[in-house]
Amino acid sequence: MVGASSSASHADGGPSAAQGTSADGAGAPEPPAGPRSITPTTLKDLRDAVSTVGAVLIRGTGTATTWGAPVRDARTTVSLAGMDRVLDHRPADMTVHVQGGIRLDVLQSELAARGQWLPYDPARSEATIGGLLATGDAGPRRLAYGSLRELVIGATMVFPDGAIAKSGGHVIKNVAGYDLAKLCHGSLGTLGVVAELVLRVHPLPQTSRTVMVRDVNTALAQKLTWALTRSAIEPTAVEWCEPEQVLAVRFDGTADGAAARAAAARSMLTGSLAELDAGEAHSFWESHAARVVAEPGDTVLRAATRPGIDPGLVGALSAFADRAGVKALLTCSPATGAYTVRVTGADAKAHAELVKNWRTSVEAVGGFVMLRRRRPGVDAMVESWGRAPGSVEVMRRVKGNFDPENRFAPGRFAPWF
Amino acid sequence: MERTARTDRRQALGAVLRDVVAECGPSLRVLSGQAERRAYETDALTVHRVLPGLVLLPADRSQVAPIVRACVRHGVPYVARGAGTGLSGGALPAESGVVIALAKLNRILDVDPDRRVAIVEPGATNLSISAAAGEYGLYYAPDPSSQVVCTIGGNVAENSGGAHCLKYGFTSHHVLAVETVLPDGGTAVLGSDDIEAPCYDAPGYDLRGVFVGAEGTCGVATRIAVRLLRRPEAVRTLVADFPDVPSACETVSAVIAAGIVPAAIEMMDNLAIRACEDAVHAGYDRQAAASLIIELDGPAEECAEQFEQVSTLCSEHACTRLRIARDAAERAAIWAGRKAAFAAMGRLSPEFLLQDGVVPRTRLAEALAGIADLSAAAGLRVANVFHAGDGNLHPLVLYREADGQGPTAEALAADIAELCVALGGSLSGEHGIGVDKACSMPKMFSPADLTAMDRLRAAFDPSGLCNPGKVFPTPALCGEARAGAYQPHPLEETGKIQRW
Ligand SMILES: Cc1cc2nc3c(=O)[nH]c(=O)nc-3n(C[C@H](O)[C@H](O)[C@H](O)COP(=O)(O)OP(=O)(O)OC[C@H]3O[C@@H](n4cnc5c(N)ncnc54)[C@H](O)[C@@H]3O)c2cc1C
Ligand SMILES: Cc1cc2nc3c(=O)[nH]c(=O)nc-3n(C[C@H](O)[C@H](O)[C@H](O)COP(=O)(O)OP(=O)(O)OC[C@H]3O[C@@H](n4cnc5c(N)ncnc54)[C@H](O)[C@@H]3O)c2cc1C
Repeated sequence: MVGASSSASHADGGPSAAQGTSADGAGAPEPPAGPRSITPTTLKDLRDAVSTVGAVLIRGTGTATTWGAPVRDARTTVSLAGMDRVLDHRPADMTVHVQGGIRLDVLQSELAARGQWLPYDPARSEATIGGLLATGDAGPRRLAYGSLRELVIGATMVFPDGAIAKSGGHVIKNVAGYDLAKLCHGSLGTLGVVAELVLRVHPLPQTSRTVMVRDVNTALAQKLTWALTRSAIEPTAVEWCEPEQVLAVRFDGTADGAAARAAAARSMLTGSLAELDAGEAHSFWESHAARVVAEPGDTVLRAATRPGIDPGLVGALSAFADRAGVKALLTCSPATGAYTVRVTGADAKAHAELVKNWRTSVEAVGGFVMLRRRRPGVDAMVESWGRAPGSVEVMRRVKGNFDPENRFAPGRFAPWF
Repeated sequence: MERTARTDRRQALGAVLRDVVAECGPSLRVLSGQAERRAYETDALTVHRVLPGLVLLPADRSQVAPIVRACVRHGVPYVARGAGTGLSGGALPAESGVVIALAKLNRILDVDPDRRVAIVEPGATNLSISAAAGEYGLYYAPDPSSQVVCTIGGNVAENSGGAHCLKYGFTSHHVLAVETVLPDGGTAVLGSDDIEAPCYDAPGYDLRGVFVGAEGTCGVATRIAVRLLRRPEAVRTLVADFPDVPSACETVSAVIAAGIVPAAIEMMDNLAIRACEDAVHAGYDRQAAASLIIELDGPAEECAEQFEQVSTLCSEHACTRLRIARDAAERAAIWAGRKAAFAAMGRLSPEFLLQDGVVPRTRLAEALAGIADLSAAAGLRVANVFHAGDGNLHPLVLYREADGQGPTAEALAADIAELCVALGGSLSGEHGIGVDKACSMPKMFSPADLTAMDRLRAAFDPSGLCNPGKVFPTPALCGEARAGAYQPHPLEETGKIQRW
């Protein structure tokens, strides 16, 4: 029932996963010295798997293990790959109940078969839903639909002591008890395993249109974004990319409605405008996602600031990049204040220097910069997290109350806790 | 023994008072007389009353932290209070505890029309935020019907909802950041770090998400950053009458299944329709077994397109009459009828209990049939008027105290709440757990669930002094009386706010 990347499945009540070992399946009484991987298929096995000894790394599809600080010597990797099913989809209730290990793209295609979707478009569409909640990731459409925290209405979590706890439920309106799912948003596997989620789904929009403006400098991007957010045409996403200096505006809706809104946007925006056809739009958004994800050897930073494109920050980024001799490719969601920077070229020292410098600029305006990925060697020179938020003491206590032995992803939030 | 405990508490309160007066100066308003304190012994759930030891009204945000620190230093429990319109006893004081009344901290500090964010003090009323944002064509979406008086601090604590939350989401979706005085006396901004420049993506655990809906047990909010929305280009409203309850329920599901998310879908059964019509003359059909009020909003094109579809769906589900509001005045009249429902119920019965449960939308017909059965078995009438799109029921159990029906009514209301849970729903959709339903929590949550929630609470409030006795069942609480009879809020009696 367990084993490294085994696809074994069995009924509830089978032998405990925690007693299993990796591939050889010898069932040795002592845990092996090297890292072992467990792939439970039931909630009960998952519980047994995490109530083992030593550090535990929870694994989804492996798209974001590098987010945050590196985990220290995880003895056990608990993979959610065996818990990847839709448990209950109720289209008329607009809810879906899934296991934490289901991939987002798989879920989307199952929902689409019934005319629905999860209005959520992080760049990592092959990531698991549990991992996406744990990373607190969000894509361009968060402007209109929110991030996963807005879409989760119930959760089942497994805590380090093996406790299985639920919060929320299957109904979209519910104020009974504390919202434990929100706690896991951004927790990066340090608090508990997101074993099951109940999500609010939406009808699939009939169509999506993208209007693109070229040669938009920072000041103009800011101006056009505010013009859009002040209007009643409700863009679903507004993204700006540097150094290309394009502003892309997306509209989801009914065929006529989205067309009318896109037309309204064209008359409101100025400059070198074009409405992309379906194929062009698809490839634009794909390349946008690819840039955010980046590649091994790149360093990827994510900055969170108040909404807006701060010309000072954009200017500082390119100045620091020039000075370090690296290339910094930026995507920015101006209406929500999120910047993702992909750094390529030069060496680890240059990457670290850019991170340090730009982090200082971002923190000076009240923002945060975290590392999602780094070129090997960068960790030794710069921390994954910058200044700790004022609420870090509460986070420490939360961590301590749920994981007193610090077994789940130890080091992930270093140096904060 | 008893006397010593009381003396200790009195001394502790005296010490708190000395400390806060010394630190805050004369602008801090102190209510210590018995008569003054009496006004704070209950919220809108008036069956529960506890006289606080001391009521403090900060005149300035900076006075909140010293108050909390003094309470912690001397081991005195405290509770934040907004307008006191809570319906679950959330702002009920602790015995000999402190009430921190935030009504004077009611300023709208900033409205940023580009970023669509407002920074407000906790005592600002819900409606005042929309009023301030209105000049830019913006508004604050969650719309509890108490919005004229209830405060944003109370909304944050209760994760309040309203008729338009089906499409737009609840308080939790509209709060970007909360500046709080934590139960250890420290201050932090949850969801950001700078309340004046709130960001969407603060790193780490989503503590803001936990704070919203924690019913005032995780600290005192002193400033709140809320998201504002643009007023929709178009709004369309209709009333559809049905010959039976299941047809109305099926219509709700059909609308959703067609891929349409209305701004609101409200439902009334015949008893409720008649009561409202008699009271307000909104033009409802007294013969209808059930009526739906459906409102769509958004960009004009899409709104018109989908409104057509909704009208067709109503007709396909045996709708007997479709009334479409031709203008804003007619829309207002339709809503006035709906909003008067609870007050109107007084015509049918001087006494009633208001329940607040949720079921999955597709089980509405089942839930209503179950309620009808329970009602028949108990021999008491139940009127239903509710947020159908959310599956959020508000059954009104009508009874006469003079006929000794009180206990039967209470038992019936509790059975209805538990029926909701049995159907896969929730004990509360918007009024909260407070002291009112704490004893029902084990019906919905396992001991492991409650322990996990308690661990979280303890992380915020290690000393347990911040609004103790709420949300979680305690032996003392669950030994006492439960749900109470409806008593109108003073503002309901004057017609300023309605309960629905
Ligand atoms: C032998 C081996 C060695 C490797 N060594 C490295 C290495 O040194 N460095 C490296 O970067 N990669 C390494 N990889 C790749 C790495 O294993 C994968 O990137 C990683 O395991 C992916 O899992 P993930 O949970 O991050 O995926 P995601 O699903 O993207 O998870 C992201 C985050 O969410 C957490 N999470 C995921 N699912 C849940 C859930 N259901 N509940 C709660 N939290 C959750 C995770 O703990 C993580 O913090 C190695 C792979 C192998 C096979
Ligand atoms: C007629 C009527 C109609 C209603 N309609 C609705 C409705 O449609 N939808 C709905 O959701 N509710 C409704 N309610 C319930 C009530 O209005 C809401 O729960 C509201 O949010 C309470 O706000 P308040 O300012 O009155 O808070 P209070 O009753 O004063 O307090 C409620 C809770 O909030 C806490 N609190 C208050 N301020 C703060 C703060 N600054 N920091 C931390 N905690 C704080 C208190 O400790 C308490 O636990 C209605 C109530 C009435 C009387």
